[in-house]
Amino acid sequence: MKEQPVPERLQISPFLVFYLVMSMQIGIGVLGYQRIIAMDAGYDAWISILFAGGCIHVIVWMIYKIGETVGGDIVTAHKYILGNFFGKALCSIFIGYFILYSLTVVRTFVEVIQVWMFPELSTFWFSFGFMILCVYIIFGGFRTVVGTAFFGLVLPAYLLLTFGWAIKFSNFYNLLPIWDHSIKELLTASYHMSLTFIGFEIILFFYPFIKEPKKSQKWAHLAVLTTTLIYTILAIITFAYFAEDQLSKQIWASLTMWKIVEMPFVERFEYIGIANWNLIILPNVCISIWIASRLIKRVFNIRQKVGVFFVVGGVLSVIHFLDSRERINTLNDYVGKMGFTFTFIYIPLLFAAVMFVKKLKKGKKK
Amino acid sequence: MKKLILFCLVLLLSGCVDKEILDDINIEVGVGYDLAEDSKDKYRGTVLFQEFQPDKTVINRTFSGSGKLRQDLLLEVTKQSSEPVVTGGLKLAVFGPELAKKGIYDLVDSFQRDASIGARVFVATSEGKALDMLNGEYGTRGNSTYIYNLIRHNIEHRDIPQTNLHILANDYYQDGKDPFLPRLKKTAEDRVEVVGISLFSRDKEVGILPVKDMFFFKLLVDKYSEGNFDVKLKKGDLAAVKSLRSKHKIKITDNHASISINIEGIIREYTGDKLASEVVDTVQKNLEKKVEKESLRLLRQFQELGIDPVGFGQLKKAQHRNFDFKKWKDDYKTLGFDVKCNVTIEETGVIE
Repeated sequence: MKEQPVPERLQISPFLVFYLVMSMQIGIGVLGYQRIIAMDAGYDAWISILFAGGCIHVIVWMIYKIGETVGGDIVTAHKYILGNFFGKALCSIFIGYFILYSLTVVRTFVEVIQVWMFPELSTFWFSFGFMILCVYIIFGGFRTVVGTAFFGLVLPAYLLLTFGWAIKFSNFYNLLPIWDHSIKELLTASYHMSLTFIGFEIILFFYPFIKEPKKSQKWAHLAVLTTTLIYTILAIITFAYFAEDQLSKQIWASLTMWKIVEMPFVERFEYIGIANWNLIILPNVCISIWIASRLIKRVFNIRQKVGVFFVVGGVLSVIHFLDSRERINTLNDYVGKMGFTFTFIYIPLLFAAVMFVKKLKKGKKK
Repeated sequence: MKKLILFCLVLLLSGCVDKEILDDINIEVGVGYDLAEDSKDKYRGTVLFQEFQPDKTVINRTFSGSGKLRQDLLLEVTKQSSEPVVTGGLKLAVFGPELAKKGIYDLVDSFQRDASIGARVFVATSEGKALDMLNGEYGTRGNSTYIYNLIRHNIEHRDIPQTNLHILANDYYQDGKDPFLPRLKKTAEDRVEVVGISLFSRDKEVGILPVKDMFFFKLLVDKYSEGNFDVKLKKGDLAAVKSLRSKHKIKITDNHASISINIEGIIREYTGDKLASEVVDTVQKNLEKKVEKESLRLLRQFQELGIDPVGFGQLKKAQHRNFDFKKWKDDYKTLGFDVKCNVTIEETGVIE
């Protein structure tokens, strides 16, 4: 069965992959990843970030190789290896993954609002309003989702500068001595970076929507590089700003750093920052819901719009039950682990399988 | 139609959280803590509000309460206040002398835990009760603003080293460094004064530096600083030196720390006949000698008290992998010091 190619009017320019990947990577993880990696590798953890970033480049290269070989997205790749039925069955797992991903993002963000701004905010009603917005965007089609990703990255970009206030109160001696931790500790820290770093795997899902996929590869790599640098620089500033024991108590170190910001027209900058973070979260949720519904369409042959309602309904029906720090933390850990398994273990395996089958098919032709 | 539904939802959802209108709330701007007289309670806290009147005057209003936790105090205060109390505008926290000696960590922790309290809050200790301190009538802009500005301009241009809630917590948690706080005193019903620096070991006050040592203390503690100092010359002449820029460098070897301090300053006042270049030279030399002598004395004093506000331990740690802070505690007692100071007088004013 030959698949229908995506019509050109629905495709996106190669450079937009940069915004898609980056806006998917940067989300809730940034608010508090510093503590998690510092628990393992102390203040050497910035090395772990660079290392993890380096590994991701290899994975991105694999993703493009897979896409190129099978000429389509992850479902095509699975069909290529396992045939129609088993390929689709295996792919249905990812529907669950992306539903869980969007759930984690929304719930964690609501938690941030509840802790930092409005303790009495209702989880359900906020998520409900947020989901209406997401559904509205996704109904506009993939190109609208990409547009959200673009603005969700460019508009809040100024927030990076606000961390400059912390530099004045930083002591970069904190980072010395370098290499005070074993390689094993550094690697565990790299592993724990995964929740913060995942998001680049989405290329595998919208591959057919890129106009000239080959040309977009450099943009994907550039996106990963930029994210890595942002994470590293932010981690270094954080480490210099907090004493090590102090950081171990900060659940949202990035937000706590905003407490030092002083502006004549605003007393507490966190309120502006968190409100702006909404814009960063939006493409995260939109893209993951879009992918989940697209997978539903591809696997079960159901209309994508129906799929969207199914996903949103799923998220909204469980979000109310995640009501404590502990549960949210468990969910975050869980999704981080799943993301790690998917990106760093499953994708290389898939890559190997695709390459193997390719050779096999070539052999048959001869 | 779709847009209409969305619009309606926006209106409906906006009622989800509590409104806080500035005129209808009491913003906590200053807070003071003392030990409670009743042994059942732990703290006696005083919360200061500033009420802005239509004719631009400010009324200072204080409420007091006792309790075991900071929240107990807020609860007590809320019972007395006609409007809801919010903590987002806190600028100043003062600890009474007995409390400072007993330990302030619990309260500092509660400040940090509160998401609405900023990191730039000034924390200070008081000579005499914190309650009395907040109860005065200082300036026209409100007590909290008055004391806040007092501390701030003294940090920026005079002899109080950089300090705020973040630096306090940072020093507290940093191994190999101990915190310090400015010490204030209410001298009259309408006056507050900086009277020194409280030195802490972990979170307990163990010593007090008088005002005359603050210039040297700031040179040692702050990387870059400004400050003022009078230099005595022969024949009883005096010269007031203002240091514009100063910079310190600390080199630490096995059991010795050498500190070099560079001061660039100007002469503000001189009581002798003529400010010749030889006199300027003597001013420089005398100041150098004085800084070296006093700094050494301070460092020895810290050593005796077993505290490390300069952060030698932290510097030492930066040079050694797998650093052992327990061993350092003993090593610190025998650490040798030398201080080298270099003063450059750049200007002597507009007359000669």
